[in-house]
Amino acid sequence: MPKQGFQPFMESPLHHFKLDAEAQARRADGRIWCNELPHLGYAVLRGDTAEAGFAQLVQQVTGLALPLQAGAVSQGPQGVLMWTSPDEWLLVSHRQRLADWTAQLDGGFAAQQLFAQTVDSSGGLTLAWLGGTEHITVLRHLGVYDFESIPLGHMVSTVLGKATVQVIRLDGDGVFVLFRRSFADYVWRLLRRAAQPYGFAVCQLEARGDHPLFAQLAAPRPSLILA
Amino acid sequence: MSGYRIHRPGERINRQKPVSFQFDNVQYKAFSGDTLASALLANGVRLIGRSFKYGRPRGIVGFGAEEPNALIQLETGAHTVPDLKATQVELYQGLLAGSTTGYPSLDFDLKGLLGKFGRFMPPGFYYKTFMEPVKAWPVYEKYIRKAAGYGHAPVLPDPESYDHLHHHIDVLVVGGGAAGLWAATLAGRAGLKTLLVDEQAEMGGWLLTERRSRIDGLSGMDWVSQRLAELASLPNVSVLPRTTAFALHDLNLVQAVELLQDHLPLTERNAALPRQRLHKIRAHQVILASGAIERPLVFGYNDVPGVMTAAAGHSYLNRYGVAVGREVLVQTQNDAAYEAALDLAQCGVKVMLADARQGGAAAWRQQALKSAGVELLLGHGIAKVLGDKSVSGAQLVKLDGRNNQVVGSGPRLSVDTVLSSGGLTSTVHLFCHNGGRPVWNQQQLSFVCPDEGRDNIACVGAITGRWELSEALGQTHAAVAALLLGHGRGSSGNAPSVASEEVAAPRAIFRLPDGKPEGHGAKAFVDYQNDVAAADIHTAIRENYRSIEHVKRYTALGFGTDQGKLSNINGFAIAAEALGKPIAEVGTTTYRPSYTPVTFGALAGPHVGETFDVRRYTAMHASHDARKAEYEVVGQWLRPWYFPKPGEDLHAAVNRECLATRNSVGVMDASTLGKIDVKGPDAREFLNRIYSNAWSKLDPGKCRYGLMLDENGMVMDDGVTACLADDHFHMTTTTGGAARVYSWLERWHQTEWPELKVRFTTTTDHWATVAVVGPDSRQVLQKLCTDIDFDKDAFKFMDGRSGTVAGLPARVFRISFSGELAYEINVDANYGRYMWEEVMKAGAAFNITPYGTETMHVLRAEKGFIIVGQDTDGSMSPNDLAMSWAVGMKKPFSFLGKRSLLRSHTAGDGRKQLVGLLPLDPKVVLAEGAQILSNTDDTVPAAMQGHVTSSYHSAFLGRSIAMAVLKDGSKREGDTVFVWAHGKSVPAQVVSSVFVDKEGVRQHA
Amino acid sequence: MLVITCPYCQEAREEEEFSYAGEAYIARPAVPEEADDATWGDYVFHRKNPRGWHWEQWQHVAGCRKVFAVKRHTVTYEIAGSWTLADGKALYLKEQA
Ligand SMILES: [Zn+2]
Repeated sequence: MPKQGFQPFMESPLHHFKLDAEAQARRADGRIWCNELPHLGYAVLRGDTAEAGFAQLVQQVTGLALPLQAGAVSQGPQGVLMWTSPDEWLLVSHRQRLADWTAQLDGGFAAQQLFAQTVDSSGGLTLAWLGGTEHITVLRHLGVYDFESIPLGHMVSTVLGKATVQVIRLDGDGVFVLFRRSFADYVWRLLRRAAQPYGFAVCQLEARGDHPLFAQLAAPRPSLILA
Repeated sequence: MSGYRIHRPGERINRQKPVSFQFDNVQYKAFSGDTLASALLANGVRLIGRSFKYGRPRGIVGFGAEEPNALIQLETGAHTVPDLKATQVELYQGLLAGSTTGYPSLDFDLKGLLGKFGRFMPPGFYYKTFMEPVKAWPVYEKYIRKAAGYGHAPVLPDPESYDHLHHHIDVLVVGGGAAGLWAATLAGRAGLKTLLVDEQAEMGGWLLTERRSRIDGLSGMDWVSQRLAELASLPNVSVLPRTTAFALHDLNLVQAVELLQDHLPLTERNAALPRQRLHKIRAHQVILASGAIERPLVFGYNDVPGVMTAAAGHSYLNRYGVAVGREVLVQTQNDAAYEAALDLAQCGVKVMLADARQGGAAAWRQQALKSAGVELLLGHGIAKVLGDKSVSGAQLVKLDGRNNQVVGSGPRLSVDTVLSSGGLTSTVHLFCHNGGRPVWNQQQLSFVCPDEGRDNIACVGAITGRWELSEALGQTHAAVAALLLGHGRGSSGNAPSVASEEVAAPRAIFRLPDGKPEGHGAKAFVDYQNDVAAADIHTAIRENYRSIEHVKRYTALGFGTDQGKLSNINGFAIAAEALGKPIAEVGTTTYRPSYTPVTFGALAGPHVGETFDVRRYTAMHASHDARKAEYEVVGQWLRPWYFPKPGEDLHAAVNRECLATRNSVGVMDASTLGKIDVKGPDAREFLNRIYSNAWSKLDPGKCRYGLMLDENGMVMDDGVTACLADDHFHMTTTTGGAARVYSWLERWHQTEWPELKVRFTTTTDHWATVAVVGPDSRQVLQKLCTDIDFDKDAFKFMDGRSGTVAGLPARVFRISFSGELAYEINVDANYGRYMWEEVMKAGAAFNITPYGTETMHVLRAEKGFIIVGQDTDGSMSPNDLAMSWAVGMKKPFSFLGKRSLLRSHTAGDGRKQLVGLLPLDPKVVLAEGAQILSNTDDTVPAAMQGHVTSSYHSAFLGRSIAMAVLKDGSKREGDTVFVWAHGKSVPAQVVSSVFVDKEGVRQHA
Repeated sequence: MLVITCPYCQEAREEEEFSYAGEAYIARPAVPEEADDATWGDYVFHRKNPRGWHWEQWQHVAGCRKVFAVKRHTVTYEIAGSWTLADGKALYLKEQA
């Protein structure tokens, strides 16, 4: 039927900046380097840690331990699981894997009659990576949080300018800034503006197998996404 | 020519770097390191401005933030900055400045003539003179405004940028003088994250001027260099010059503005860097070392150009190599001014010193002056200064030793400059910004900060009234060591050693008497910037203003851009004398931010231009751009307003869009609607409580329109909620209400019904929504989707289905905000634009027409559908909106707002209710917001019956329609009312608010 | 700007991250229909507005989105503490007793 006639395409929230066209290999030149990690899969995970079986199921399906400490981030080769609230987490992975995981999780929750759920947010969120020696300073230009104090392996949900964002710090190299699709244009312009005194450049981001987030940049498999 | 250059060892100017600049269209030469003030003085320029009220000639009085007179306009065009203090403007090559006052010219000022009749302009002059008649005030105001004020604000966009920087630190030290440098050194050595800020380009404070003291055996500036080198070596310490801490807020939040490029020529400024940076500093501990400012004495004609503070004369000499005059009279009541006299005399200036004290300064100081050839006049005060545009002399009187009275005449001296010192005033501003009160110190004759500071704020040095360097450093060391101990840290090193010197007590005198009753002698100015004289304060007291806050407001004392740094204590003292009270009892006025003026640019920082506010875009925005949409801002969203074809205006486009939608098919981006995922075993019960209508019987696959009331029973939001599964719902809210409703659900759940097992997750941004609307919409959907049965009986109005649309998983709801057959397709927003384009392709055969918010408004108004916030205003109950059908009064739980619907007021008569209006002339579109009257009698005040909430031309009906809220409207169908707007009364008939398809045939098609 | 500790994020955060959510521990009448107009009106409209210590609710809207209780002094802005709604209620009731 008409299905084969359709050729769906995705556009990430920062698509209109055509970042790939200006992306260059990153250099250690004091500038701020930044780019979007487009088309990742995101799901909000809700559950009650007091319910037996919840954390186990999450671990079993995703291979990620459920983080229980405020702001903690569980990392694995297939993605990250972040604490965002005592009964809420955010799962980030490759789109297709995330779709598989959420199906398994919701199936498991139903089977075990757990008060738990996943909510697909893949269309509503995006991530930008921000690196360079002054990357924390750029955040300090825009937000009141003490960004220097974020421990590695943690995230914080706070405000940059007039937008709520999550800042994820996995290593000293840079941070990931997570924000909503409709705020993406604003947040990007804000970051670009704040980075200007140091020099701002868009860098190439490549899939890196050993990294919990860069690994998820592997090209999506369209046939599966449409399933 | 009065001022001139003189070489001084240790001067802070660079003679190797001459710079030229322009003031009032005249070229001058000076040196790098000069301020505009020192450069003007060096060039013999004295007349800098005209006074605010009387147009009196004025010159430079101070040398820093305290300057009241020398307000200048810097640069021109887009770069112009008004009312900078010449004393704070760092000179650069090519600097362009001008005076801000004087009309038609600075030299001949018309207002100056008015000034000659000064005694006829008492405080409250404007209130008293221009009270009547009230209607004439705008005329008066026009001229008063023209005559008043100083510089002019730029009218061109600011070409420079500004940013903000947030700090979270252990210790903030405000002030880079001796005390501040030592405090920062101790905090830095203890390993604390420390920030030191100072408003000047160079650290050192008073040590930049005062050259005799030795600290730890070093000259003052060598010791400063040693401190700065040590601080630079500590990675935990930052030092920011040119940074003014201008406000202290609760919990030690300090705001400071750093001038990053103001000292550079315009052509050398780096466009990538901000001109100024606003620092927002949270410090566990604030150490205030902001020092003190010398105040002048108050005496007759103390405002003639050439009268300055002694500290200013001293600083221009030692810092900038500028002697301010050739024959100088120093008038003092304390020892410190002797230093200025001594340094000037040693440079060959002819100096005389009048001391209000009979005994004068400590003997060693008097001896030093005499040796330097200074003539000493003990027990003397200036009665009045001679000269008009420049000092030519001074008339002295002999003073009584105890009372502030004249006991005899004194000499008439021929001098070109007068320096006066009324003692120091501690810079207590920041300490007082959030409620701290200074205390009066009768020995030091100043309001000072208490030694103990307050919670997490320490005060060190001259701010506590320690004028002598040895005492200031001793107290600093002790105070900082104590606070370090409190933080569990030790302090290393001993207090810096400074020899202490014998000092004679100052005399408690502020206004030098001239032997005449106040108001009868020469005008003696207290506040130069606002032309407040001693006599004005007496007048205020005589007119029974008792509180110093009222005296301030009546006389304008301390209101200027200098915030009374020179005038406050003198003003308080004169008020105290007039009131017959001690100064401590009179107290101070309230110190408020900002310490010195701050540019709007710095305050706005990055929140300008494209980052001024959040602009939210839907995933389909590029498609709308390609189709030349005009936009409107809804909440923060940018939504297509209408899609004009070439040559179309708003009305033509909307008429076309409306007709196309009603006759074939239209398409709208509905992505901005708020969407909330509601799930859990108690989801249904929660909806029953939060919505006014019933949700118990809504089956999966069905949608329902819901009304949300606040506890007062008034409509706060509405939207369609779909049941996805027994325990799972897809809620939609209004575009503008999304965040509010989301919080509303969370708050009721968390605060009132935490036992309900339900969770809310926002999905607004996840789903992109395409609304396909009109009789042909079914055929469009059928071209895109094969796994959903679109048959009218299989997929009914208010049904929802999941399926595959254009090859993508989608949620499709058959809901309608237009009264037409319509579907809303929801897909992952990454595919939003793809879906929009596929719908356009599939609809091409039906002339599918994209439409925006304006057409949406017309279509829904034709059906009488409300828009919350437009047709409601927080005082409309469901009954007022004729929506009682959406209220489930039989639901077991008392849903939000239910009880309020029964209150006498909510249930009673006389409420405004929603109606439709048809203007009798179908071509007339009523004005939204227009008031409704029962008749044509427009006698003021008219009995207002309600107002028009929505009004449009309906192309479908070929006439105008409107919605309105009208008193008892539900009972007034058929009445004729009169809608009053723009001076006209337009008759309209009250009708049902459903104008199109009252039976609902179309949406059920 | 206040600095408020979120009992869930267990960290002191700037006021900018929070949204004020009104007076805490206002009891909604259990059976609203049985409350007379005066009682109901009092519940809907009247607030304590004290000069001094005040129990109030804040929501960590930019963070965990939880609503919690804060005891704050309306004159000095001093914050005595913040608690989960349940923990704070016990303290609040003890104070009222
Ligand atoms: Zn929190």
